[in-house]
Amino acid sequence: MAHPVAFQSAWQWMLGGTPSMQNMELHYSYCNRAAVGIHAMHFEDDLDDTFFGVQHNWLLKRWNLSDAQANIYLGAAAGAARRENQSWSPAALTYVRADYETREIFTAFDSKWIASEDVSRAVTSVSLGFAPYKAEFEQLNSWLILQLEHISGMDDDFAVIPKLRFFKANYFFEIGYSLDGDPLVNVMIHF
Amino acid sequence: MKKIITSTLATGLMLTMAHAATERVMTVKTTVHGMVCSFCAQGILAHFKNHASVSKIDVDLGRKLVILEEKKGASISDQEITETIKKAGLEAKKIERTTEAFETVKAAQ
Repeated sequence: MAHPVAFQSAWQWMLGGTPSMQNMELHYSYCNRAAVGIHAMHFEDDLDDTFFGVQHNWLLKRWNLSDAQANIYLGAAAGAARRENQSWSPAALTYVRADYETREIFTAFDSKWIASEDVSRAVTSVSLGFAPYKAEFEQLNSWLILQLEHISGMDDDFAVIPKLRFFKANYFFEIGYSLDGDPLVNVMIHF
Repeated sequence: MKKIITSTLATGLMLTMAHAATERVMTVKTTVHGMVCSFCAQGILAHFKNHASVSKIDVDLGRKLVILEEKKGASISDQEITETIKKAGLEAKKIERTTEAFETVKAAQ
């Protein structure tokens, strides 16, 4: 789940994750091609890494096609990270996303890298989905999505997560369950 | 005298017609590219709903149309429509104006 840049003058708040990793972002799109905000991530394992930073996102390229939209986004954050019981140290996060979407098909590649003196993590995911019906603007949109996710530095670092996505108006909700039995929940709101 | 009456009536008629034209409510249909998801197209609603010249908005994903009803006596320019849709991250491709009622355009398939 991610919407790094929304429409001009929009705030987007994203919260979610799994028992292994939690993610929170709040961004303001000051134009239709860039957003600024805050980003926090926590990895729940033996290392218990945490990152917090101020982030800038760019919409590098958008293809507005007749029946589809494709995007390439880039993000960079500066902040601090720490490993359990250690002190905070300066950290950076870089982010890249590419997606392609029609009213029936959704594909996305998403990757985040966090680096500091002690912390080094990468979260990469590929998602493929389809909509069982073409929802109109005011209807509830439903999607069936398969997400493949890799988190570096974890014992069980690869997850296959079938999930359901719903959105209506400014509200977006995802729920899933990995094949290993871990739940996933994501919420996103534009305002 | 006859000439003065005729001239006065003609001027009055022209003024009435001009007034009627400015009072006519126009419906504007804009074909938009990239409008595939209602969550991503919320910006269209957010930006047009407070526009002083727009009274009604409809987004039709199937026909790739944004339908606007102009307020009586008001007008929104093609450039404003294009810019507003750009702010929403999408691309206006074709703008058409019609005297058909907003509800008729909205209901058409």
